[in-house]
Amino acid sequence: MKTVLKMGASAAFCLGALAHPACAEDNIVKIGVVAAESGSFVSAGHTLPAGVGLAVKQINDAGGIKVGGKTYKLEMVKRDDRTDIATAIAATQELVRDVKVQAIFGSETHDFTLAMAKITQPAKVIHFAGNSTLAKILTPDSVKPGGEDHYLFQSEPQEFQRSGSTARGVLTLLEPLLGYKPKKSVMIVGNDATGQFLSSYYFKALKAEGQDVPDIIFYPPDTTDFSPFLTRAKSLNPDIIHFWYNGDSTLTALPQALELGAAKSYFLFGVDPGIWKEKALTADVPVAMSCVPVCWGESSNPKAKAYFDAYFAAGAPHGVTSSVSLLYHDYVHFLAEAWEKAGSFDPDKTVEALLSIHHQGVVSDDLTFNPTHQVTHATEVCAAAPGGDISCSMQQPPAEAPKS
Amino acid sequence: MRAVDIFIQQILNGLSIASVITLIAVGVTLIFGLTGIINFAHGEFLMIGGIVTWLAVSAGLSFPLAVVLAILAVGLMGYVLERGIFRFTLERPTNGFIVSLGLIVVLQHVVVLFWNPNQKSIPRPLTTVWDVGGVRIASVRVMVILITVAVVALSFRMITTSRYGRALRASVEDRDTAALMGIPVRRYITGVFVLGSALAGLGGALLIALFPITPFIGGTMVMKGFAVALIGGLGNIYGAVAAGLILGIVEGFSAGYGFSQWTDAYSFVLMILVLLFRPHGLFGGTSGPRMAS
Repeated sequence: MKTVLKMGASAAFCLGALAHPACAEDNIVKIGVVAAESGSFVSAGHTLPAGVGLAVKQINDAGGIKVGGKTYKLEMVKRDDRTDIATAIAATQELVRDVKVQAIFGSETHDFTLAMAKITQPAKVIHFAGNSTLAKILTPDSVKPGGEDHYLFQSEPQEFQRSGSTARGVLTLLEPLLGYKPKKSVMIVGNDATGQFLSSYYFKALKAEGQDVPDIIFYPPDTTDFSPFLTRAKSLNPDIIHFWYNGDSTLTALPQALELGAAKSYFLFGVDPGIWKEKALTADVPVAMSCVPVCWGESSNPKAKAYFDAYFAAGAPHGVTSSVSLLYHDYVHFLAEAWEKAGSFDPDKTVEALLSIHHQGVVSDDLTFNPTHQVTHATEVCAAAPGGDISCSMQQPPAEAPKS
Repeated sequence: MRAVDIFIQQILNGLSIASVITLIAVGVTLIFGLTGIINFAHGEFLMIGGIVTWLAVSAGLSFPLAVVLAILAVGLMGYVLERGIFRFTLERPTNGFIVSLGLIVVLQHVVVLFWNPNQKSIPRPLTTVWDVGGVRIASVRVMVILITVAVVALSFRMITTSRYGRALRASVEDRDTAALMGIPVRRYITGVFVLGSALAGLGGALLIALFPITPFIGGTMVMKGFAVALIGGLGNIYGAVAAGLILGIVEGFSAGYGFSQWTDAYSFVLMILVLLFRPHGLFGGTSGPRMAS
């Protein structure tokens, strides 16, 4: 009789939650990932399934998640958007309508994420994306219950926070290596939507730190020969040239900058010290680097080593932007914790739980979402001295955006 | 740094930019202008040249040997693709164009499959940087400029003065008549395709000597190569060199003094203007070979 009652209760649970296919498929909860596993964004794109896949494995190896008295295993269903927005949209439609995922992670590209959200949000699918540019759409109105982005979460700090902590970290680490306080900075930035967005914040952050920034030099995104841009920067006699934001482009530009003697020091956004070491890069002047959000080649974060050991052991290649995986890995664990706390896969209850949890992740021991669904955490900045020694520190973000 | 030093530095920068673009443009102008094959995967041929160089140098071979291997490997690849695919599209150039678009994806992802999508680089084969009155001159850039000048001069001489070149130009004018005169037109087409491919292999080897490359670098390079070939006049090596120089200087100066974010746009605006007002290019060229059955 007890068994019959249990079966009946289970059937009732599943019937009452037909929208939640976890019940229908052997206690498996499907999580979608849409990322560029081919095409020009593959370098950052492949970190998404690698980070999410590692978290899924860790959770399943630990026994799965307990929701509503039952244990569920997670399954990652990934789709390659081929760095093509139409493919990203089609993949999202398939994952939402056919595969019926409970949550989606991706994409690494702002425009793609916006298009994906037009599908995930009406379908009430929890959606995480590591794009600081989402600040443009995540407003109190859009994220409130019934709002058009109620189920969308930004797993990267707001740009004034990331730019603020990065600028402060770069200047703090370079000053002792230069032997004087740097005063003049020139920014060299990839000219696409992300580059323009990011540079506007970083420019303000540098100004807030007292820097004279006479020029922001934009280069076409596929540039390989940076010598004309660097010569222009050199004519301004800067203490620091700041390269934003594509790590591959930055690594292409730096040797040319060193040959030209374009500045007294450099900052490379999004280049991990691990790549600096692997490529045996050297410079006769100080070079600062930053990671999004924690470095794998050298880190002041005590949890980073264990995370990246597991990440690379799972087969992920050492990349300029391997750390981007952390903008997704931690949030699979975060989401699992939210489901357990909510005791349900109901998306509204899950959002409530996500907004109330202080999650212990790799990036931070206290990951929380603010009322507009944006996370806050520190950014790691490192600096290589001319002799090759690398030092790193986690830089906390400013409390407020600088006044323009 | 004085304004005049910056100006001279930008001229040197422009010459360096012009070198690799000219190499790829000469390949494009030969293949497109003389055989009619519109190979948009030519940029991927250049990328493969860079990858072969990277593999060879990583395996411990010297840079000059790696360059030779890159030229041979891409030349061989050109031979296989021409004999295996492009020769079947000669009478329908649009088909060849579509095939080349497919080849772009295939070649990129073969490289990604075996050697991952990350950047590849080699140690600079020459590391000396001369400082002449505040102007920095990297020896590796001088090497690239000199090799380009030598190779382009050799190609120019071959096309304009050799028996092979004369026969080739005759077959561009009229394939049927050339064939009736005993010129093995199809074999010459294969030869031009292999030569153009080998030049792309050399371009790739020189490119990776200057900058890291990714499997996706071909697209930008081939667009500029086509722009230069069209500005200079299809099939006109002299025109490709002159247009490459113009484009290099325009790009260098626009990045240095103008709206730097529009650097790429200047090349294509120039191409459009030239095609509007001088359809055969600034220095005259073929309109591609006349197609005959």
